[in-house]
Parts: sequence; structure tokens; C-alpha cells
Amino acid sequence: MPGPPAAAPLPGPDPVPSRHHGHAGDGGPDPAPAGPIVRLRGVSVTLGQFQALRGVSAKVPLGSQTVIIGPNGAGKSTLVQTILGLIPFQGEISFLPRRPRFGYVPQRLDFDRHMPLTVTEFLALGLTTRPLWLGVSRRVRRMALGGLEEVMAADLAGKPLGALSGGESQRVLLAAALMSRPEVLVLDEPATGVDINGEQLMCELLDGFKKDYTIIMVSHDLPTAKAHGDWVICLNRRVVAQGPPDKVFTPKILAATFGLHQGHDLWPPRVG
Amino acid sequence: MDAFSPLYDLAGLVYGPLFMRRAAVALALMCLSTSAAGVLVVNRRLAFFPDAVGHSIFAGVALALMLSLDVQATVLGLSVAIGLAIVFLSRNSHLASDTVIGLVFSGAVALGLALVSREPQASAGLSRFFLGDVLTVDDPQILALAVLDLLSLAFLLLMTNRLTLASIAPRNGGGAWPDYLFGAYLALVVAISVQAVGVLLVTALLIAPAATGRVLSVSHCGMFWAALAAGSLAGQIGLWVSFQPAVNAAAGATVVLANVVIFALAVALRRFFPVR
Repeated sequence: MPGPPAAAPLPGPDPVPSRHHGHAGDGGPDPAPAGPIVRLRGVSVTLGQFQALRGVSAKVPLGSQTVIIGPNGAGKSTLVQTILGLIPFQGEISFLPRRPRFGYVPQRLDFDRHMPLTVTEFLALGLTTRPLWLGVSRRVRRMALGGLEEVMAADLAGKPLGALSGGESQRVLLAAALMSRPEVLVLDEPATGVDINGEQLMCELLDGFKKDYTIIMVSHDLPTAKAHGDWVICLNRRVVAQGPPDKVFTPKILAATFGLHQGHDLWPPRVG
Repeated sequence: MDAFSPLYDLAGLVYGPLFMRRAAVALALMCLSTSAAGVLVVNRRLAFFPDAVGHSIFAGVALALMLSLDVQATVLGLSVAIGLAIVFLSRNSHLASDTVIGLVFSGAVALGLALVSREPQASAGLSRFFLGDVLTVDDPQILALAVLDLLSLAFLLLMTNRLTLASIAPRNGGGAWPDYLFGAYLALVVAISVQAVGVLLVTALLIAPAATGRVLSVSHCGMFWAALAAGSLAGQIGLWVSFQPAVNAAAGATVVLANVVIFALAVALRRFFPVR
């Protein structure tokens, strides 16, 4: 499916499906529709008085590992939450062929860490309507354990959710996201607050998942973006550039994104 | 009341006088609801919500007397309204919920005092709610407590998971109605229990068992059943102790003391045998 004509103000290099970058012969479910699975046109978000996103036009190619990079306060988390439908916006977001099922791994859970709740119980909340005080059934317990095994976290099943380290809770959140059988996996800063081993493990896990899911990942970390991304969106409230990493990671674009000298001379951006 | 006669017979194994049997049955029924609801109250950090709703009972009684309304219906209605108001203000202002609760708490007490000061004869009916008396519960009140237990069962079956998820990931969507439903349910638990134990002590019956459960367990399931056990045990032990001639103290106060002692024992137990 050809991308729509140059309606988007940002000329991407070309609408070549990025799934052909990086890894060859992936077993994606359907190689035919090679267009974007998510496309944003002129999306603006205002939070209170603050315009967090200004006229964002970008796409997420089907089967890609799209990395959204930008400095703190660039609106990266706002952008993914807008795509997820959690924040009202102006503009247009379209999904092809239809709205996919999203699995969202938030940056962190903000909750009372001493609340009694085991990892198994937490995962059960997404798997069953049976109230927790009736106990977790053997079937749900097995499903939860299976989900934890997928992210190398089976040993965490009986632990209290509040006692997990940053990397552990990230893997539990990833397990919860995967259990919702998503088509698009959305990760917000998966390397933040995680020790080096946890980061390594997360990288390996994501590498293993990339053939099964379209992945959208938020990062302010260039090495992460380079290692995992085959499609990069450079964001600083507006889209500075988007494209495959080798086209995007130029000193000029990075300077414009991270605001070393605001990049006025680079606007409008030219990629490729 | 015939439906409760097996329960009265059971209480008769310990207590001779009918009012003591009634008190035992009333506490058994009430502690189920307050302990179970308390688990969500403590986990959602709403410890002062019951206090605010409880104190609105003065305004409810005074209002009913002034306008010649049915006291029970007015008290229940005003309690639910206050509960919903707290939820509304917490959701729609940038204030923390403890600030909102403190504000509504004071407002409810002030409204009650203002109304009572206009109607001096109303104050006579109020002292009963201030301290409550579980020894004077009558059959309709026991029936109300039994209905409350059924309501609690239905609410907790349907809402536990949703509210637990909301307290972990508040941005998960799902809309506002679970919060409002919880506010209304909790207001009913408080408004019905207040009549037996009084405004001053009703908070303890919600908070103490859940606090004990939380100290003793790392899972929601464990906390729930530990809270129920602790609350029920404290209810019966407190009543029994208060009845002993050597003690002869107010039943409601003794029940709350029993709750606090059980909580202290749980804390001590966990110091010597940590769970995590």
C-alpha cells in the first residue's frame, strides 16, 4: 500500500517499509501491507497552558522498531500517550488497517509500594474478573507464570509488586503488556531507572520480540535508539526529522533535536 | 426477628441477656462489612473519608428534625451526598484528597452545629450518634447490617479488581464511575455502622482491621482475609471483655481497643518474623 502523497510536511526518505532494514527474513504475520500502521497528521496537544506537541506529523511503519528520541520535556511520553488514546489532541491520527491492540509499558508505576499485592495478583488483574480476595485460580496462575517466563521473570511470581527493582518491575510490566496480546508494543523509556544488567536483559528481550510486534519506544538515549531502532522520530515538541537511523543520526539533526542551537537554520528539515 | 434466631441462639451460648446476644450478632455482621471495606480504604489512602462521612450524621439528624423528614433516610441520603462530594472535589480540583476530606469534614461538622444551635431540642437525639451504643441495637438495625453485608459482598465481587488496578495505574482510563460508586458504597457502610458504634469510633472499625491485615500479608488476598479475621475477632473479644463485671466498660470503646491491641500484636509479630 503506497503511503499517501506528500501531504505530510515532513518528507521522509521514501515509504519503503522499514521492516526490511536490519533483520532479513523476519516472520511477520503479513508482509503485504507495507504502509504505516500509525500515521499522525498535524497533531497538537495542549496540557493546561502548555503546548506539549505542535503540529506533529509522523508515521510508524508496520513491523518497525520505531524509536522516538528527544530531550527531556520534548513531549515524547505525551506523544505515545496520545497515540494510545489517553490524551485529547487536535489533528488526525489514523491507523491501518484499523486501530491495533496496544500493549503499553509505562515508564514506571506510581503507587503505594507497601500495598500488599503480589506480582501474580497484579497480572491476574488483567486476566480475570474474579476478585483477588477469592484467590488466583490455578489456570490464571499458570497464565501469569507463562507470561513471566517470556520475560525471564518467573522467579518474581510470588514477590510483592512494591519490592521489585526498576528492571524487575519493567519486565513485569512488559509481561502484563504482552499478555494483552498486542499488535503494537509501546515502551516508555525502558532503560530509565534500570541497572546495567536489567538494561542488557531488556535489550535482549526486545530483540527477541521485534519479529512479532511493531514496537514504539521512547528514549532520550542515542545508543539505545541506534541499537534498537530501524525507524527514528526526532521530537522536540515538533518533529525535527524522521527516517532510518543512518539518515537521521547526523550532527545537524541531532543538534536541532537536542537543542544545542535551536536549529532555526535547519528548519524545515531535510532528511536524506 | 425469626431469621436471626439461629444467630441469637449461637450468641446465647456465651451471653444470657437478649441485648448482649443482639450486640454480638450486630458486631459480627458489622465487622464483616467494615473490615472488608477497610481494605480498599487503606489501600486507596482514604483513612479520613469515614470520619468526614461519619460527622455529617449530625447535620443529617438536625436537618431531618427541622424539616420533619425521616431521620434514617435523611442521614443515609446526606452521607451518600457527602461521600460523592468528596469524590467529586478530589477528582475536579488540584487538591490532594486529604485536603478535600479535611475541608468537607469541617464543613459537615459546622453544618451540623449550625443547625443544632438553631434547634436546641435536636441535640438530645444527637448524643446517641456521638458515642453510639451497640447494646441498644434493635432488630431493624440488625436487618440493616445484614443487608449491608449483602451489599458489600456484591460490591467487592464486582469492584475489587477495578479499584485495585486504579490505585496502581490511575491513568488506565475506565472513567470516573468506579470512584463515585466506591464513595457512595463507603458512605453507606459508615452511615449504617455509625448508629451502632458512634461517630468517634467508626473510623477505627474500618482502618484497624485493614491495617492489621496489611502488616501481616504481602498479597491482597492475604490482607483481605486477615483483616476480616482481625476485625471479627476484635469485635467479639471487645464485646466479651466489656461485659465482664471487673471491666464493665462501654462496648464500642472496648471493641476499638481490642482492634488496636490486635494491630499492635501483629506489628510485634512482624518485627520478630518478617515476611519480606
